[in-house]
Amino acid sequence: MDVTESFRLLAERLRDAIVVTSAGNCSELWWDITRETERVFYLEASMSLASLFAAGIALGASRNVVALSGDGAFCMNPGMLMVERAMALPNLKHFVLSNRCYGSTNELPLGFAQRADYAAMARAAGIERVYRIATVKRLGQALDEILGVAGYVFAVLDVEPLGRRLPSPPLDGPELKFRFGRYLERIGGRRIFDAPLYRNNDSESAIDTSI
Amino acid sequence: MDKHADGDAVAAAVADVAADCGISLVASLPDGWITSLIERFEIDGRFRHVQVNREESAIGLCSGAFFSGIGALALMGASGFLTCIYAITKINYTYQIPLLIGITLRGRPGDHAKFHQSNGLYLEPLMRAIDIPFIAIERGADIAQLATAFRHSRVMARPVVVGFGRKVLCGEA
Repeated sequence: MDVTESFRLLAERLRDAIVVTSAGNCSELWWDITRETERVFYLEASMSLASLFAAGIALGASRNVVALSGDGAFCMNPGMLMVERAMALPNLKHFVLSNRCYGSTNELPLGFAQRADYAAMARAAGIERVYRIATVKRLGQALDEILGVAGYVFAVLDVEPLGRRLPSPPLDGPELKFRFGRYLERIGGRRIFDAPLYRNNDSESAIDTSI
Repeated sequence: MDKHADGDAVAAAVADVAADCGISLVASLPDGWITSLIERFEIDGRFRHVQVNREESAIGLCSGAFFSGIGALALMGASGFLTCIYAITKINYTYQIPLLIGITLRGRPGDHAKFHQSNGLYLEPLMRAIDIPFIAIERGADIAQLATAFRHSRVMARPVVVGFGRKVLCGEA
């Protein structure tokens, strides 16, 4: 399926979710479509750890936490599936964008993975809710169940390579940390930073100057 | 008291300090020196213990947990720590995410495992090379330093390593 169309659909349907994107096309495309700077953590500085980073966030979140990884990242650490299965977080949804190439490095083919079945690997790891989706229409149908029913999900999206270069999100690391963390605090999550920015999570104007 | 019991007592002491300073998530991969400690975290109801598939996964999970407001400890052997340089420097340094990492001080004089001698040679120089603060826990009285290290990581918004020596883990120091 067309990767841009699939991401447009995800951006539309994941409005209530917290999102973590891995390095490469996932971060670049999400930024290109949404220009979001708060509820998404562009984990561009790391491949292969986006879903476990998301799992850590999901431990304290009431909302769904969605990890979007490329298959280049997935192949670096497929053992993550066993950890995610063991954790069985009801609000963690892990999507792997399978384009069979390294999207952000000139789409160099992911040669050794051409015959790999990522969904079958997930089932073999004991994961029960596994999806393999090849059309935007099917993605739309599946998202109702993926997002609406509590439980860990692993979903493989078979997509075509993007075929063009996109810029990275223009956020420095600390800026991203504070935007994302303050957003989580503001929507009612646990306190993250030692120094509170607000006296009251409901009032952004009440800046605490006592620190 | 036998050595296993001594190790259990040390593990209990470490767990008490960890719980008191706000750690409630422990992600681990074993080293022979810390099996008692890992078993303690597994059964202790004050912690959620997650066995990870590789040490880098512990870095990813615990770094994400920072955004849950959860205090976390990534626990591993020295060799495993050496595999984490990419994850630490890319995730924790880029985004300035605090993290407490507990490791074993393998390869020092007294460690008879030949396959750990490279850790004795390169572990501490490597930590200095990436400017990661390091606190050695070599005696029972040092265990309280775990809380200091945890707090320090949050203050400086970077990871901090605590290294456990063999004797303290065995209850001999």
